[in-house]
Amino acid sequence: MAKNSKLTTAILVLIPVAVGINYAGKLFASALKLPLWLDSIGTMLSAMLAGPIVGAISGAINNIIYGLTTDPVSFVYALTSIGIGVSVGLLAKAKMFNNAFRTLLSGLIVALVATVISVPINVVFWGGQTGNVWGDALFAFLQSKNVGIWVSSFFDEIVVDLVDKVLCVFITFGIFKALPKTLVYTFRGEE
Amino acid sequence: MRVLSLYVENDTFIHKLEPITKLLYALISIVITFLFPSIMVGAVFVAFSLLLAISAKVFKRMLLLLNVVLIVLLSMVIIQGLFYRENVTPAFRLWGLTFYKEGLLYSLLLIVRVVNMIISFGVLILTTRPSDLVDDLVQKGLSPRFGYVLASVLQIIPQMLSTTSTITDAQRSRGLETEGNLFQRFSAFFALLGPLVLNSLVEARERAMAIEIRGFSVEGKRTFVRQIPETKADRWIKISLYVAFIVAVVWRIILWVM
Amino acid sequence: MGDVSTKISIEHLTYKYPFAKNVSLEDITLSIDAGQSIGIIGRNGAGKSTLCYVLSGLIPRFFHGKITGKVTIDGEDVPTMPLEKLIRKVGLVLQNPFSQISGAKMTVYEEVAFGLENLGIEKDEMHERIDTVLRQFDLYKKKDENPFELSGGQLQRLAIASVLVLKPEILILDEPTSQLDPRGTTEVFETISQLKTLGITILIVEHKFEKLVEYVDKIALLHEGKLLGYDTAEHIFSTSEIETYGVGQPIYTALCKRMGLKKANGYYPVSFGETVALLNGLKGSGMDRRTYNG
Repeated sequence: MAKNSKLTTAILVLIPVAVGINYAGKLFASALKLPLWLDSIGTMLSAMLAGPIVGAISGAINNIIYGLTTDPVSFVYALTSIGIGVSVGLLAKAKMFNNAFRTLLSGLIVALVATVISVPINVVFWGGQTGNVWGDALFAFLQSKNVGIWVSSFFDEIVVDLVDKVLCVFITFGIFKALPKTLVYTFRGEE
Repeated sequence: MRVLSLYVENDTFIHKLEPITKLLYALISIVITFLFPSIMVGAVFVAFSLLLAISAKVFKRMLLLLNVVLIVLLSMVIIQGLFYRENVTPAFRLWGLTFYKEGLLYSLLLIVRVVNMIISFGVLILTTRPSDLVDDLVQKGLSPRFGYVLASVLQIIPQMLSTTSTITDAQRSRGLETEGNLFQRFSAFFALLGPLVLNSLVEARERAMAIEIRGFSVEGKRTFVRQIPETKADRWIKISLYVAFIVAVVWRIILWVM
Repeated sequence: MGDVSTKISIEHLTYKYPFAKNVSLEDITLSIDAGQSIGIIGRNGAGKSTLCYVLSGLIPRFFHGKITGKVTIDGEDVPTMPLEKLIRKVGLVLQNPFSQISGAKMTVYEEVAFGLENLGIEKDEMHERIDTVLRQFDLYKKKDENPFELSGGQLQRLAIASVLVLKPEILILDEPTSQLDPRGTTEVFETISQLKTLGITILIVEHKFEKLVEYVDKIALLHEGKLLGYDTAEHIFSTSEIETYGVGQPIYTALCKRMGLKKANGYYPVSFGETVALLNGLKGSGMDRRTYNG
């Protein structure tokens, strides 16, 4: 059965843990008063361990659960989390995390993917805004200068996403490298 | 909290409805409000969803949920009112700025859609035990393996978060600096998240072994120790919802073609 | 050919984990009769857990890697047995009480039902089995509580209950008390004597030898993947080389070895009871104290 062979029991147990790591990252970042969300580390780690599909599922469930239990807004951004999971998974398969330079490039790619997916959601639900104070201030400014709504929303979003996603990628990769090989082997997914 | 849940314990008619019925209402009402670029349609659903919330005695909690988005909604009114693409007709002036009718109306449309989304889903999650929703979905055909993932997320996350304080204390007692400059705090982040990830992954492997031993991967017929009942009321409501959906789609197509 | 009552038969079992440099189990041959209780001892890395995983079917299904040799239960091959058949024959309990909770169930009652639901057991039978097993392991009062609220000892009892509700005839426990306090440890061992009276074949990996010897018929000593000894406790622990295997011994045996006190059959005592009997015997007969062994 295709479903069973790709989504092994170990991977299914990994997914809630990945969401938990997202939550923990967010918690630690806020407790340490860091100026970023750092809440996608679990999604990214699950993608590095088990591939893009698992990354996508972890991302989706993360936003669904967070949306249903804390902040309804994140519900609609499930698509963004899915994008993050898929892109990290594909980049990992393409060996794009082998050195610092490649990791930086991957981080930028992921940030771009997250931004590009979020912009249409911003436009449809929030008229282009992101809900982030600084981003929205920039958005308002660009709107006042008659910049197109899509472009304005793009810059609104990237202000928020760029540093956060690149840093998440680096942190995730650092953690991944430090894991024992046998543990990584348990969760490997699609061959 | 032991389980991630906003469930408010009670005994109302809405509480006793089958979870899928309430889910269906939320999904269909959202789709319909998005099908029609009409503030009227959105407002009707908002009013109806509010009535449901009141009948389920969760009105106060609902207001708390809406509170989260209040500021964003307000900023939408301001930004659209001032800068909306199709702004032509001035509505009023405030602090030297001109707010336009088109932008204000557009922001109102966005607002009713978002508010309906929050309230209709709010009715679902405030009146339904998460485990009941998952059990219902699995009993109606959702893959049990996937149902497992959804059900366990709600308990695993609080479990993991409760270990964060243990890890923090342990690392602090080893001299971890959690205050100080940005670099120090970033290093602290790594030193806290690293052990948490390792522990959680090891535990995940053991959990996978444990559930495998209890037949998690076994194919074939499954049974359920708790049945989620579907009443006549549920069936009627579902039929009405399906009908409303079809009517809305047809009507929209007609409007589009005309 | 084995005995009619042979439950588990292992012949020339060799296994290597993927990614491992060396084999974890090498040419293991032993057999276990129905209703016997066997202790498995050895230092860390000796292969004890690996053996448990092979017998419970996790190897090769969960861990992959190459198995050679023959492993049978009731004469049937274990590595190729369909999983739903195997789990009705063998149950496995691991050392961390918290990681054995499925996490998907809100009450102890439903947690125990997990395996039964997976196997498609009919509802009435489910309720009957769950009630029985909850009462058996003194968890009935906790049936509506959330599993995460239980203590370590209670969780291990829950793990045992959740596995035994599938009615296996063999139960394997891999260091079940290593993460428990003394009270939890006592609870688990009491549960094990209960299981013995039910005729369940038990394999238990344990480091708490003083307790272990009170409950097992034989002990298997593993070292670097090989089976060095498979005999009664007094045979195994009486060997003088026991320390070279990094294993340790019951404190009473160490004491008697130091004092040169052997039982009438030439072996050292392994339990508190035997040691007391021996010392009382010496007292009573008025014999001189024996000389020490340096």
